[in-house]
Amino acid sequence: MSRTTEAALLVAAALLAAVGVAITEFTRGNWLDAQVAITFIVFLVSFGGFYAAVRIWAPGASSLLLPTAAFLAAIGFVEIYRIDGDLAAIQRWSLIVAGAVGAGTLWLLRRSGVAILNRYRYVLLAIGVALLLLPLLPETWPIQGATVNGSRLWVRIEVPVLDRVLSFQPGEIAKVLITIFLASYLAERADAMATVDRRIGPLKVPEPRNLGPILVAAAIAFLILIYQRDLGASLLLFALFVTMLYMATARSFYVVTGAVLAIGGGVAAYLSFGHVARRIEAWIDPFAVYEDAGYQTVQGLFAMGSGSLTGSGIGLGRPDLIPAAATDFIFAAVAEELGLAGSIAVLAAYALFVAAGFGIALRSKDRFRKYLAGGLTAVIALQALIILAGVLRLFPITGLTLPFMSYGGSSLVANAIIVALLLRVSHEERT
Amino acid sequence: MNRSVRRAAYVLIAGFFVLVLAATWTQAVAGPDYRDDPRNPRLAAWITGRERGPIVTADDVLVAVSTPAETPANLFVRSYPEGGLYAHTVGYTSVLFGSTGIEDVRASDLLSDRDSTISGVLNALLGGDPRPRGVRLTLDHDLQTIAADALGDQRGAVVALDPATGAVLAMVTSPTFDPNTLVGPGAGPTGEALVSDPAEPLRNRATDESYPPGSVFKVITSASGLDLGLVSPSSEFPDPVALELPGSSATIENFDGDVCNDGRSVTLEMAFVRSCNTVFGQLGMDVGGFDLAETAERFGFNENVPFDLPVLTSLFPPGQELATDPAATAQNAIGQRDVQTTPLLMALTAAAVANDGNVMAPYLVSDVFNSEGTVESSTQTRVWRRAMSPVTASVLGEMMEQVVSSGTGRRAAVPGVRIGGKTGTAEVTGQAPHAWFIGFGPVEPEPGERSIALAVVVESGGDFGESATGGSVAAPIAQQVLAEFFGVSLD
Repeated sequence: MSRTTEAALLVAAALLAAVGVAITEFTRGNWLDAQVAITFIVFLVSFGGFYAAVRIWAPGASSLLLPTAAFLAAIGFVEIYRIDGDLAAIQRWSLIVAGAVGAGTLWLLRRSGVAILNRYRYVLLAIGVALLLLPLLPETWPIQGATVNGSRLWVRIEVPVLDRVLSFQPGEIAKVLITIFLASYLAERADAMATVDRRIGPLKVPEPRNLGPILVAAAIAFLILIYQRDLGASLLLFALFVTMLYMATARSFYVVTGAVLAIGGGVAAYLSFGHVARRIEAWIDPFAVYEDAGYQTVQGLFAMGSGSLTGSGIGLGRPDLIPAAATDFIFAAVAEELGLAGSIAVLAAYALFVAAGFGIALRSKDRFRKYLAGGLTAVIALQALIILAGVLRLFPITGLTLPFMSYGGSSLVANAIIVALLLRVSHEERT
Repeated sequence: MNRSVRRAAYVLIAGFFVLVLAATWTQAVAGPDYRDDPRNPRLAAWITGRERGPIVTADDVLVAVSTPAETPANLFVRSYPEGGLYAHTVGYTSVLFGSTGIEDVRASDLLSDRDSTISGVLNALLGGDPRPRGVRLTLDHDLQTIAADALGDQRGAVVALDPATGAVLAMVTSPTFDPNTLVGPGAGPTGEALVSDPAEPLRNRATDESYPPGSVFKVITSASGLDLGLVSPSSEFPDPVALELPGSSATIENFDGDVCNDGRSVTLEMAFVRSCNTVFGQLGMDVGGFDLAETAERFGFNENVPFDLPVLTSLFPPGQELATDPAATAQNAIGQRDVQTTPLLMALTAAAVANDGNVMAPYLVSDVFNSEGTVESSTQTRVWRRAMSPVTASVLGEMMEQVVSSGTGRRAAVPGVRIGGKTGTAEVTGQAPHAWFIGFGPVEPEPGERSIALAVVVESGGDFGESATGGSVAAPIAQQVLAEFFGVSLD
């Protein structure tokens, strides 16, 4: 696919967003609105800027990722606009910032390439862990942690000059930094960790000291669960670690161990923490706890079921009935208004993005780049799978944003960095 | 090294295919269940807000219509322009109080196919017309209006139908309610008040309430004797002040407590015209409980009446039971004791006399038309039951004409039209009697001439209270409906 086609697809995504806004206004009895033009321009600026950066600093990069991300962002934006115009106005700024951050990432790496990340891996890890811990700051400090919906994921910064409070989820950025660290760490240690001389029964077992990292990862995940009450981030980080460990070592032992630790941790959490227990009960039979913990899941099912094959049409569904329709449950809102047809389009776009991302990993010749591309792709894939499996009731509700689609600046910026890094890796393999 | 990356990729991409399956399950397979869950707030909007086709009367008066809602744009508002006049036939669709009437039983015709279920999408792809269809009723707006006005605020019902087809021309029940108040906002308190109202305004008294028929049942007792060849209109009966009932201390007396004719003998026809209980108690015993029950069942007692709306089954005691109980037979033969019926079945009884003894299946929907106004399907008329022989019907018709020309039903007479009828004043313990009139016209119609049969019941004497009779209360109501039908001015 040529760069020209890519540009055409990005314009198509901008048109999709603009038309969606127009349809929304039409269902409210309004005719063409300034919002339509503004949306079109914002998408052109955000993805156009990113695209220009690719042409200048990563001209050899894959042309599949950016249009796919733009398509998902457009669908998500239309749904957010339809749910709440004020959120959409903020999301537009987030899109512009994310485009700029993506372009900026390519600019930063224009000479050194991703290799520089390999060199500063412990710095990145330290920043990542610090970002993870940031929400635990006391609520009286200028940079303060904040609890939203029972999870302590947020950080607020008071900016006296602007007289505004900026809030963001540092965990979104932390997951990128931790992925970079893991890619770098595993590129160096994979061979040692892949040595599995011992046997216990049919299972080949590595040296006990090589078990260290996975236990550390499990411990970190469990700590996040306890102190931040964030099931989603906890699960995402652990699943990412196990996936990357498997990619690097090809040892199914780690997957088995990871699954055992995850299930063990899950059972322990179920027995120890009320909020985890409630979510699991709400997953098993959401209708039994409809008034309480099952409410969100059930409203999601009602929305998706009511959408049926072709959906109610944009602007004609009832996303106002679904809690967190603009963030965690945006898929349910899209599924109601665009029907199964829209759901499958969205899922296919994710599958395409993930396939393209792993394609970059498979073509990469050195280990670090391979694990980096695979890991970053796995972050997007796992995050989408975990939250969507929750919405579709294949898994308990965990509370994660849907990459590219959900409302939220931190998420968009983090995902833009991921896209930029993937594009950079793919560029480096072509040159 | 790539093998494990590729495997991880396969697993994660496979995850999205699993999600596609889950989404298909949630939206296409289990979707309708979620959509129709009573806890789904969309259901309420879906029930009341979906576009429905119009319901019109036979003379094209709009009685139910959907208009686009202000907001949200895809929903409609259902309204009933004639208010309470068609409340029990057209019915309503309410979130809190369910759906009733034609709105309920013809929902599949009335509802738009424009939805996103599998069938809706397939229909749209195959070029089907998703626009809702309309329903045309058999009801005549002028007749319906006159019947409601004539009944006024007395509790009761009027049913008029075409004896030759079974098409219901008027179906009025009182008290009524405005269905518009059960649909819109604030339906809760209004509906609760209607549900708990002791006058039961929500009940369709024409089909869903049963009353003792009183003397109108003598039409059926007479039909039984005539059909069996036991009697003719000129048959002589003894004329006592009171009829002794075998095996019982009870007696049957005439309405005024006097003899029917001269105290010696009276013909069947005269007893019918004067509605003498003694003679029909005797005729019932002469026919016998077994045969009387069989005749009643041929008229539709103890049977489900096929109709667009649910109809309460009219009850007559089993023949085996009556065969050994002449006293009960005599009392049921004059429409008292156990026998219970609906105004609809009594209208059908009059219609059977007018239609050579055949009871046509009654119906309320004449046709279903598409959005272009083209009729898509019309109701096929059919004989439901053969109540009596054509000869019996003809003889009975003449006896009924005498009732209106010179008997208890004189106040139902319409100048220039041969009307047949029978009054009834059904005794009810503890309250004023129910006033009945059933009738039809014209007697012996010219070929091609339209005819009408009707039943009127006024509960507990209506405005007349204890002094009410079928002739004084119900017959004048029937007269107004008949006069309207035949275009005769009563002034």
